[in-house]
Amino acid sequence: MSFRSGVATFAGKSSYWFLHTFLHGGSSLPGKITLKLDPNILRTLGAKYDVIVITGTNGKTLTTALTVSVLHEKYPAILTNPTGSNMEQGIVTTFLNAKNPKTGRPLAVLEVDEANVIKVTQYIEPKAFVFTNIFRDQMDRYGEIYTTYQKILDGVALAPNATIIANGDSPIFHSKELPNPIEYYGFDDQPDTDMKAKPNTDGVLCPNCEHILHYHSLTYSNQGKYFCPNCGFSRPELTYRLTKLGEQTPTSSKFEIDGHPFKIQVGGTYNIYNALAAYAVGRFMGVTPIQISNAFNANQQVFGRQEVIDVDGKRVTIILVKNPVGLDQVLHMIGTDTHPFSLVGLLNANYADGIDTSWIWDGDFEQLADRDIPTVITGGERYKDITFRLKVAGIPDDRHIVEPNLEKVVEEIKKVSTDRVYVLATYTAMLQMRKILADKGYVKEGLGL
Amino acid sequence: MSYELNVAHLYGDLMNTYGDVGNILALNYYAKQMDVSLNVKVVSLEEDFKSADYDLAFFGGGQDFEQTIVSQDIQTKKAELTKFIESDGPLLAICGGFQLLGHYYIGADGEKLPGIGALDHYTLAQDHNRFIGNIVIKNQETGETYHGFENHQGLTYLGKDERPLGNVVSGKGNNGEDGTEGAIYKNVYCSYFHGPILTRNGDIAKHLLVAALHRKYPDADFSQQEALPIPATF
Repeated sequence: MSFRSGVATFAGKSSYWFLHTFLHGGSSLPGKITLKLDPNILRTLGAKYDVIVITGTNGKTLTTALTVSVLHEKYPAILTNPTGSNMEQGIVTTFLNAKNPKTGRPLAVLEVDEANVIKVTQYIEPKAFVFTNIFRDQMDRYGEIYTTYQKILDGVALAPNATIIANGDSPIFHSKELPNPIEYYGFDDQPDTDMKAKPNTDGVLCPNCEHILHYHSLTYSNQGKYFCPNCGFSRPELTYRLTKLGEQTPTSSKFEIDGHPFKIQVGGTYNIYNALAAYAVGRFMGVTPIQISNAFNANQQVFGRQEVIDVDGKRVTIILVKNPVGLDQVLHMIGTDTHPFSLVGLLNANYADGIDTSWIWDGDFEQLADRDIPTVITGGERYKDITFRLKVAGIPDDRHIVEPNLEKVVEEIKKVSTDRVYVLATYTAMLQMRKILADKGYVKEGLGL
Repeated sequence: MSYELNVAHLYGDLMNTYGDVGNILALNYYAKQMDVSLNVKVVSLEEDFKSADYDLAFFGGGQDFEQTIVSQDIQTKKAELTKFIESDGPLLAICGGFQLLGHYYIGADGEKLPGIGALDHYTLAQDHNRFIGNIVIKNQETGETYHGFENHQGLTYLGKDERPLGNVVSGKGNNGEDGTEGAIYKNVYCSYFHGPILTRNGDIAKHLLVAALHRKYPDADFSQQEALPIPATF
């Protein structure tokens, strides 16, 4: 370590200790301080590690957590970054916090924001990249899907030897010739048919000849066994295949990968993709299917984004929603609940939520209209937008409570006729809701993510 | 339902980026209240658009890449779309759809891409800047105020026979200079208001539906439909 890096590291570590000890925080500031003193610090800090970078629009956090659990079955020392610390400063902080490895080369499994991949690969050549998916995501901040993918590739270009482990069902990950070794994972549990994605889907043009893609089978959005009837472009050969889809509930999914049975304690097809990605990384790193199954069984706490909170006997599940594909998948997942439930939609439009609320119209709320949901509550700072969205989706006025004030939303939740309540909330609305529930003693302080 | 309207959702599988489908959902919502059923069909690449087949059309906004492809394909529909517009067919066009009804627009890489020139506007591009944010405009003829969200790099300049959808009260509008937002020509309504313009501005949905009804059923009495109250949703 150079003198400069040494000073920078010391300054960063001290600030972390200070922030952590006295201010109960400190996820990116130490990184910021260290970067100021030595902009090249990641080269020094990351040199000791084999790094796996996980990026994409949706599923980064859970895929990272699951991958860490899977790899722990074989590798004792794994460094990872906490949720939300997926930009350069947070990543530097993550390395600063690490205890010095005693023996061998430890692993670092990092969730990295799409635009920040290049800030990692400038200094570190990862062993592998994982691409989860690219969907429209708060476009006032991120831009279009092709721009986002290009940002990732700009980073990957600096690491041409790293293996890419990509979602093979997503056509965009097969659209560019890359020098890297590539392994694909995807769903292969359906017989072949010929269909198109539903009209309101993004990214359905063939990257070769610009005709509309067809599908032999589809999971959701534009993901599946795609092919172009015009030029023959098609899904690449899969290295890791989901071979059977079993029972799905809002809190569990059963499935087989490459013929091996698995169960995860979380619902949603999108989470099966996350598990499939973690399986692929595990196999790539030599973890056995039995070990992977053990890891999936043992790690229920990684599914914290769907934590169930007891509010005076009501089972309240708060789910973060932030973009149309994610929202659609959440709606589909709660639709698998066989018990009656009430629904709460909380919409804010602060910077972290995305200031444009147009995306709620791309979520298919209509799929819930025939569920006869006894009570729907809409609230949050942009309650008018979400209220009209649900009105148009067919929720009758006599079952629809409009309550902008979240304190009062909690009171309304206590009065609903169902035991189960799903709260779909944008990021800042979720934080506000959690704070209220914490103040009332229903949850412990903190994010719980 | 007593009445029926055929709706063309132009390139609905490609031009659908910012909640555009909300406009179809809102049209349907208000149509039901007017005793009208809608048959919506997506008309996309290499598919025919025949003016006589449709009573109403919607053309949304897309990503740069998709819009480039649509700019080529729409030339095959130019004659029939122009016929539809000139025969007072009601049409709502948003963002990219708005741009493609005009003469041309400047794409993301600076290239000049053709529209169909059915309306007399043209669109330039800002350098490394977008107009992003909430916007309020006022329609001088009707006195209606419209609320929306804009996010566009294009700078559109209206031509002859076009009047703005509204004058900017707050926000940027067509080009940030002349205080106009959107365009109206015959029964065509254009705007940069993102995606679901009709969900916040039900009055425009009502204008489109009423125009389509009068055009399809010239002898019917639509005074009840015209009197449909549109409560504020924003």
